[in-house]
Amino acid sequence: MSSISLSNVTKTFGAANIIKGVDLSIEDGELVVFVGPSGCGKSTLLRLISGLEEITSGQIHLGKKRVDHLSAASRDIAMVFQSYALYPHMTVAENIGFPLKMAGKSKAEIEAKTNEIGTILQLLPLFERTPKQLSGGQRQRVAIGRALARDPQIILLDEPLSNLDAALRVDMRMELARLHRDLKATMIYVTHDQVEAMTMADRIVVLRDGIVEQVGSPLDLYLTPVNQFVAGFIGSPRMNFWDATTNENGDLLLPSGTALSLPRKLTAHQPVTVGVRPEHLVLAADDGTAALQGTVLSVEHLGSDTFVQLHCGFGDPAQVDINVRFAGIVPVRIGERVNLSVASLDNWHIFDAEGIRVEAAQ
Amino acid sequence: MQTTLAKKICIYLAAALLALVIALPVLWLFIMSISSSTHLTTLPLEWWPDSPTLENYRSLLIYAENTPSQSFLYAIRNSIFIALAATGLSICAAIPAAYSFSRMPGPRRKNLLYAVIAIFMLPPVALVLPLYTVMSALGLLNTHFALIIVYCSILLPFATWLLKSNFDTIPGDLDEAPIIDGANRLQAIWYVILPIARPALGAAVMMSVLLAWDEFFYGLLFTNDIRSKTITVAIADLAAGRVADYGLISAAGILAAVPPVILAFFMQKTLVSGLASGSVKG
Repeated sequence: MSSISLSNVTKTFGAANIIKGVDLSIEDGELVVFVGPSGCGKSTLLRLISGLEEITSGQIHLGKKRVDHLSAASRDIAMVFQSYALYPHMTVAENIGFPLKMAGKSKAEIEAKTNEIGTILQLLPLFERTPKQLSGGQRQRVAIGRALARDPQIILLDEPLSNLDAALRVDMRMELARLHRDLKATMIYVTHDQVEAMTMADRIVVLRDGIVEQVGSPLDLYLTPVNQFVAGFIGSPRMNFWDATTNENGDLLLPSGTALSLPRKLTAHQPVTVGVRPEHLVLAADDGTAALQGTVLSVEHLGSDTFVQLHCGFGDPAQVDINVRFAGIVPVRIGERVNLSVASLDNWHIFDAEGIRVEAAQ
Repeated sequence: MQTTLAKKICIYLAAALLALVIALPVLWLFIMSISSSTHLTTLPLEWWPDSPTLENYRSLLIYAENTPSQSFLYAIRNSIFIALAATGLSICAAIPAAYSFSRMPGPRRKNLLYAVIAIFMLPPVALVLPLYTVMSALGLLNTHFALIIVYCSILLPFATWLLKSNFDTIPGDLDEAPIIDGANRLQAIWYVILPIARPALGAAVMMSVLLAWDEFFYGLLFTNDIRSKTITVAIADLAAGRVADYGLISAAGILAAVPPVILAFFMQKTLVSGLASGSVKG
């Protein structure tokens, strides 16, 4: 296993810039997840690392070795495809042994290694079957087994769980996390599923339009998103945003007109975007201190949580502009007016006109 | 859906009719081949010879100088050699050609593909004169080599199209997975793509052999003696003498069908498709 670093990697297809200068370094044994909306370039970035696509400019180093000029076959990187891409005419054992056969290993070596992997992944009873005779989860395990066969430096996984049903996905997610711990493998994992990203990643890389927006641990991204895009992308339901300004003291002006003094002073008379996560809003007393006031448009009771959608007067009265997630069962009714405040001063996220997080005024 | 009895009867009748249309000429050919020539010229025509004879087969299969058997046996040998060689060469060239057409598309390759098909569509008669001149100038007339080259020009575009359309159905991930697993492009084709495309490959081989086996026009014009005459030409020769022995011609026809039938028998397993299922997704 090995570390990997990308410096100023770009990729253009014809006139289209897909990857616009990515710098990234991934430690040995780390599990890094690439997330981002469709078309953000996360799969392309993975293919550039694998060598299936050539980079347009920049450098990729695997450990100390520069690999961007090497073919995919000689990079010593394994990949699990979204479609699994198992060889349909080979048995499970032959599928797992294929990379070893290509590496010119002897029959005995191949058998020893495939048996070892079969034991780790509990595939031994299926060794003589063909992919057609396997369930989705079993195919997934075979694909992972094939990736492990060569003891690669890095394992790349391109949305590996997206073809599984919800229950199996949870199982496989835990199994992958366990494998990662046991093997101490360096893994890069592409997904659009936030839960996968948050639960599995050592670090998450958020991509948008071929640019890395933020790299950090799941909780870093959740607690201190560097910009409005990351704030909106991480967390479900999505963070609430509204436009606001500051007063002459650098305090935030709430919709009610009262000023809120945040731990960090803002620039006076600055237009800002305010962000608060749905789970950080709580019911407040009607004593004029509430941060927001709104009319309930819909209520969803899930038992463990209550999702409430409100109109708080930021736009079209028929439109939802604030989502709230209350813990437990909360007795609110549609049409009711409620007062909300924010649980802690740390839960306020302030972004400037460019959408960049405002830490504190100078 | 409910199948009524009348519907069933109709379907079986139609199937029987179709089978009859296909089988009757072969059956008639067989009856002719076991009849003596006097019997065949008797009027009124009899449907079954009163003394079936294998004489026609004997005179074709037992070798003797300057008899129909000499011409027939040489022709069988020539046809087998030419058909297999032309098929082998064509398939060897068609596999990489089809792969590149399928996997590396682009305007230039696309135009080339259409050009290939356009040439394939040209009637042989449009090409035969220039080809004849070229072969004559190269001293290749009346050789196996001439027919192999000409047949390759027919088989190659056909096999390329057939394989390309099959390669198109194989997911691209199955090209990339072996590359990631350390194979080079040729190994990826050999170990993964070709085994998956085996039914199509079998069909391409089968059809190519048949096309070459049945070809008559070029065979007739480019060959003139037993050294290179093909079976179709040899059978025609049997009818070209002063007296056409229809029994002999029929027997030759039946025998000429044997090699392709044997080939089809051995390849029927390969021709069964459905291998690609289960490779990707659930």
